[in-house]
Amino acid sequence: MRSSSVLGLILLSSAAFAGVLPKIDLPKDSPVAVIASDYGESSETARGGAMLLDLHAALTLRNSSQRRIRGITFLVTAQEVTPGGKGSVTFTCLDVGPFETFPVHMDLRLLRPLQASSGGVPVQIGLDGVLFDDLSFYGADKLGSRRTLTLSEFEARRDRKYFKSLVAEGGPERLRREILDSMTHSADRPTLDVQMVRGGRATNFEPEKQVQFAFLRLPDSPVDPMGGMARIAGNEARAPRLEVKNRSDRPIRYLEIGWILEDHGGRQFLAGSVPAELNLAPGQKSQILENATLKFPARGGAPLAIEAMTGFVSSVEFADGSLWILSRADLDTPQLQRVMAPSDEEQRLIQIYRKKGLQGLIAELNKF
Amino acid sequence: MKHPNQVQLALWSGGDLGPWDRWRTGRHVAGCANCAGEVQALRAARQKVREVTAELPENLNWNQLAEEMSANVRVGLAAGEAIARFDKPALSGRPRLGWNAAMVIACATVVFGAAFWINLPRPQMDHLLSALGRVRVDRVGKLVQHPAAATEDVMLEASSLSLDLSQNGRTLSLMHPHSDAVTVSVSMRGSLGVRYVDADTGQVTTNKVYDAEQ
Repeated sequence: MRSSSVLGLILLSSAAFAGVLPKIDLPKDSPVAVIASDYGESSETARGGAMLLDLHAALTLRNSSQRRIRGITFLVTAQEVTPGGKGSVTFTCLDVGPFETFPVHMDLRLLRPLQASSGGVPVQIGLDGVLFDDLSFYGADKLGSRRTLTLSEFEARRDRKYFKSLVAEGGPERLRREILDSMTHSADRPTLDVQMVRGGRATNFEPEKQVQFAFLRLPDSPVDPMGGMARIAGNEARAPRLEVKNRSDRPIRYLEIGWILEDHGGRQFLAGSVPAELNLAPGQKSQILENATLKFPARGGAPLAIEAMTGFVSSVEFADGSLWILSRADLDTPQLQRVMAPSDEEQRLIQIYRKKGLQGLIAELNKF
Repeated sequence: MKHPNQVQLALWSGGDLGPWDRWRTGRHVAGCANCAGEVQALRAARQKVREVTAELPENLNWNQLAEEMSANVRVGLAAGEAIARFDKPALSGRPRLGWNAAMVIACATVVFGAAFWINLPRPQMDHLLSALGRVRVDRVGKLVQHPAAATEDVMLEASSLSLDLSQNGRTLSLMHPHSDAVTVSVSMRGSLGVRYVDADTGQVTTNKVYDAEQ
């Protein structure tokens, strides 16, 4: 009798929890298919007047296309919780052959008032895009995944080529030194918490001031930053304005300006990027405006006090779809070396070096 | 010994004192021959007044008396209104003194403003200017800037454990491992990202949250 009651309770709770599992919605002609899903450690608990849903999804996907998958982006929405926003989970640097399976993990948390629950599916997971090894793309691309995945693939190719050249020129030890240098730079790079509000305004007591951008001019950049400013108040930076000029002979449709902030102690860190979709003919100038506010809350030590800013062109997409990215020589510039994180692929290769050592890393490079 | 005054004795004799004063005065009168005599005189006078007022004059015309009283009341009211009009300044008139007062107040304001501005420390002046500038941008700039009001309440936040999208006390969080190898990326177009290498799968994973305009 007691065991049947316990079993009944378990079935009841699992039936109730089934109502909060995500709905995975893939198009009929999707190049990937879900062949297994596991939500083992997920839970839903009441916390005061709110419900907390901890969702740990371990999915097994299959590449049902004839091409190798290099990257994939899933769109995550929770309309009941955040009607004004959405999330995404992207997996890059993949190498999944036709009909091969691969695992993906997604860890989400939803916090919503008890009375807000309407009994519907709280989380929807959809496919935003898939990039293949021939740089072809599939998907709705609502989040600009095509560009993001293609940029990541370009950087991956650049870095693999660079590391292979190191092995060819200086042997495995040269590669080891480079990887160790990269790990050291990663450890030294300052990390900050950050908050962003679109259209926000300074909330600090400190007076807001306009600060001019200094620019890091990269010799091969197809875009020349002409000038710019942003409003700074203590640890807040907002409303950057930039003027750029296309100095290439091809029209440009997208570019990103990296934004380095410096505090009063001379410490620099990469605050973010200012992207712009535009139509910039050769020799033409254009202004870039963004109306968002970044705030860098103090984590432990003294609050950040922003004093100066530097901008640099970090990527460009031409009208014909081709891309310009930073070269390894650009990344070796001392100022960029201090602030730029390694690329997706470099981070993956460092992880392989940590787990499998130098020979495992060389074997991985030789796969491509 | 302190004797009650004339007023207290008059009220006591008429029974108009409060309980405590009545008891105290009565106790005094009982033991004081002078005050008892005074009370006796007051009672006699009251009795005389009652007798006099009890006899009304012959041929008293109550209607005429009422009319006279009403007429007196009307005269009083009219006199009050006349005095009130005399005291008030006429509405149609333009007092020359008003302009003079305004000029004095304006000059004083200018002097005060100049003194305030000259003596304001530089940081506070910057703060005031930026606040005024924001007021100008908010009032005027809305016509030409992004329609930001609809999404102002969406907050994106990257911390060491999660990437949060918060709105009206509700939060969607994308979790990541606590690690030094986590890289935060910010796009001023309205998205925050966190990149890490999944320890189990070895995959490079990038979580992102976006506001509604993205």
